[in-house]
Amino acid sequence: MTFALFVQSAIVGVSLGSIYILMALGLTLMFGMMHIINFAHGAVYMLGAFVIYYIFFQGGAPYFAAFVASMILLGVFGYLVERSIYRPIKGGIEPTLVALLALTTFLQAAGYPVFGQLDKHVPPVFPGTRNILGVGISVERLMIIPVAAALVIALYLFINKTRLGAAMRAIEQDKEAAALQGVNVHVVNGLAFAIGFALAAASGALMAPIFKLDPMMGEQPLLKAFIIIILGGLGSVPGAILGGLMLGLIDSIVATALGAEPAFLLSFVFIIMLLLFRPTGLFGYAS
Amino acid sequence: MPRKLGVSIVLAVLVILALLVPELGGDYYVHVFALVFTNVILAASLRPSLTCGQLNIGHSAFMSIGAYTSALLAKNLAVPFEIALLCGALLAAAVGLAIGYPSLRLRGVYFAMVTVAFVEVIRLIAQLWVSLTRGMSGLSGIPKPSLLGMTLTTRASQYYLVVGLAVVILLVLWKLEHSRLGLIWKSIGMGDNLAQSLGVNIARHKLLAFMLGCFFAGTAGAFYAHFIRFLFPPEFGFLMATNILVYNYVGGRGHFVGPILGAIFLSLLSEPFRGSPYETIFFSIAMLLTILFLPGGLITLPGKLAELKRWRAAASPTPSPAA
Amino acid sequence: MALLETRELTRLFGGLAAVSRVDLTVDKGEIVGLIGPNGAGKTTCFNLLTGFLRPTRGSIVFDGEDITGLRPHQIAARGLVRTFQQTTLFQDLTALENVLLGLHLSSGKGPRQVLFSRRHFPADEIARGREVLDFTGLAAHADQLSRNLPHGHQRVLGIAMALAAQPRLLLLDEPVTGMNLDESGRVMDLVKTIRSRGTTILLVEHNMKAVMGTCERIVVLNFGQKLAEGTPSQVSTSPDVIQAYLGTGVADA
Ligand SMILES: Nc1ncnc2c1ncn2[C@@H]1O[C@H](COP(=O)(O)OP(=O)(O)OP(=O)(O)O)[C@@H](O)[C@H]1O
Ligand SMILES: [Mg+2]
Repeated sequence: MTFALFVQSAIVGVSLGSIYILMALGLTLMFGMMHIINFAHGAVYMLGAFVIYYIFFQGGAPYFAAFVASMILLGVFGYLVERSIYRPIKGGIEPTLVALLALTTFLQAAGYPVFGQLDKHVPPVFPGTRNILGVGISVERLMIIPVAAALVIALYLFINKTRLGAAMRAIEQDKEAAALQGVNVHVVNGLAFAIGFALAAASGALMAPIFKLDPMMGEQPLLKAFIIIILGGLGSVPGAILGGLMLGLIDSIVATALGAEPAFLLSFVFIIMLLLFRPTGLFGYAS
Repeated sequence: MPRKLGVSIVLAVLVILALLVPELGGDYYVHVFALVFTNVILAASLRPSLTCGQLNIGHSAFMSIGAYTSALLAKNLAVPFEIALLCGALLAAAVGLAIGYPSLRLRGVYFAMVTVAFVEVIRLIAQLWVSLTRGMSGLSGIPKPSLLGMTLTTRASQYYLVVGLAVVILLVLWKLEHSRLGLIWKSIGMGDNLAQSLGVNIARHKLLAFMLGCFFAGTAGAFYAHFIRFLFPPEFGFLMATNILVYNYVGGRGHFVGPILGAIFLSLLSEPFRGSPYETIFFSIAMLLTILFLPGGLITLPGKLAELKRWRAAASPTPSPAA
Repeated sequence: MALLETRELTRLFGGLAAVSRVDLTVDKGEIVGLIGPNGAGKTTCFNLLTGFLRPTRGSIVFDGEDITGLRPHQIAARGLVRTFQQTTLFQDLTALENVLLGLHLSSGKGPRQVLFSRRHFPADEIARGREVLDFTGLAAHADQLSRNLPHGHQRVLGIAMALAAQPRLLLLDEPVTGMNLDESGRVMDLVKTIRSRGTTILLVEHNMKAVMGTCERIVVLNFGQKLAEGTPSQVSTSPDVIQAYLGTGVADA
């Protein structure tokens, strides 16, 4: 691997990592509060990308507007999923997981008749390349980094500086105690669903101009996000950020060296090892 | 016992109907019903570990191991079908042991995640190990099943084979579930800490239930390989694994016949859309509706309807004045 | 003679010593109380004794045998059985079935019998199950689903299941929490009867009246360490103990 190739894959890795982080943050937030894994996260990523396709590319709206619309639409969808699926099941973890699994396969399969069988493409929003350390990097990929960072900071501020954020943290600590203190657990869980879905939509929307669009496109990012939250420790936000960056880098560099699928296989073997021998994640405490 | 008699009669009628399929329908129906029985084995074999409270979302991985092992042994080494099938099932069980043993202490979501990751690992291995499995070109030229040296050339004879396999496997599983072992499994599912505190070796029992399921899934996979005679790695992915889980939930987790009913019902109803996205759409809607509106699965439907009827009957003659 | 003896029993969680160098002895036939403020390490002690947690250091000897590091079912099989602080039952089964499972799971049938005997409980097991319910005063509720029992009965059912597992040493974790005076009095009488039938008892309880009236010897834990040990009157007048309980509102009983 030449130096130029290495720099290029490192930068692409950070940009990929940013996408993974956005995915993983929602997952880990929802796990921390409700002890569920949102299997539908990948399907939401896919929907987020298709919103860009229809509103930005087909509808001609500005990219930024389409991006915000994607987050809002899917955030509302998340809230509705909480109301209509999570809440009626009343916290049964196993049925919730299975229901979310069913929702995922439904959204993916329904994507074919609704969006059509052919792959879709969204034209570049930020065309061109920029020279970094003598290597050309696509601006499209570079732009992901600040946008994702802004979203992460916004989420951080929301969780730590607002009353609703405090309510979320309270539920994460102890649901019963939070309810006793007058936190409306349903509404706050709904909010967590909305935030998680909106962040997944944002990742999809950011990737739409880079990869081709098809109903199964969310599968890989979902599996990556699983890997990250296990790496970082389920429920841990800083863990998700670190894990996301690590995986993005490893992914990009190993994939450049070995090919995408062997890299994927390795990461799964690694994750099984991690789950088996250190289920609290690389950075978590063993309890 | 009249109830028991009733059940036996229903079962006898079902078995006779199953055996009559080749007489009544053409090869198409034979083909469809052979796959239905394969699914029945898969669904029923997931039940023991579900009963122990282990959410296994990767059962198709073990089917895949059984399928590829048996196919490759028969194709490349001319191993007789019975032995190839047994080897496939045993390897699936051995891999089940290797993955099940270290994941014993994982619960709930963590265990489920291991199985999700594992199904991907097996799929990717089948995809990448091209020299052995032909990868994404698919493995073809798998010999037809045979018994004692006689090749089962007709669709009907292969169908009888899978019916036989299913009957034997279901009998074994039924016997186990209704033995003390089944009771112990159930107690682990209801509360593993409590069961442990009362003297149950939960590790051993969970592992046994898990491996047993892997063994039978491997058996189903091996039959499938020699019946369809073409293997393609993505077939045994996440979606297939989800379907096996769906059979159990839609049929009902509370009773032995739940998964069997679920597998028959869903495989038959989805048959017109097989291979198209509508199959998955159908499955996922059935799943969501069941979880939300009939959490006990189809097997609780007659009870619910009877309740509704009784409630109606009680309510209609004397329109109650107040709620 | 000591039935249970721990040496320097220690368990760390990260940096926190939940149980620290505890030497605990329980003699055959005793009722010993284990008390201490919230978070003192009492439940952790139980978890260590019954194999639900592994000690970081130290050893546990039960009836002359070193059981350190054995797994819960192995320890239960030796006759050291516990109840849980959080009510823990097979919720979807009736009271009788719960007790039958206690009998049954601990009956140690060989593998052949596990495979080939019928699920139906044999008549003699059912009779023994009813006996246990009778003894614990739950006979009238035998066929009620355990999830529908009132809280007090659920707690007692937990004890009944542990009894069914035929303990030689019974560990009770806060058996009377959430009970009224009347109920807790009856449970304490039950505990004494259990002892008089030959089962040794180690009791964790916050209800001081119950502890003082029942136990012959009391061990006090604070911040994971053994703070005091002695008869109820010795312990309740110990300045250290009063100091530890000050402000927790429990000491005034
Ligand atoms: N699994 C665990 N992981 C980390 N810390 C734990 C764990 N279990 C207990 N602790 C900590 O160990 C300490 C002792 O807890 P323990 O439950 O043994 O107290 P206790 O005496 O039973 O209290 P209570 O009277 O409230 O039941 C507490 O600080 C608790 O937070
Ligand atoms: Mg406690």
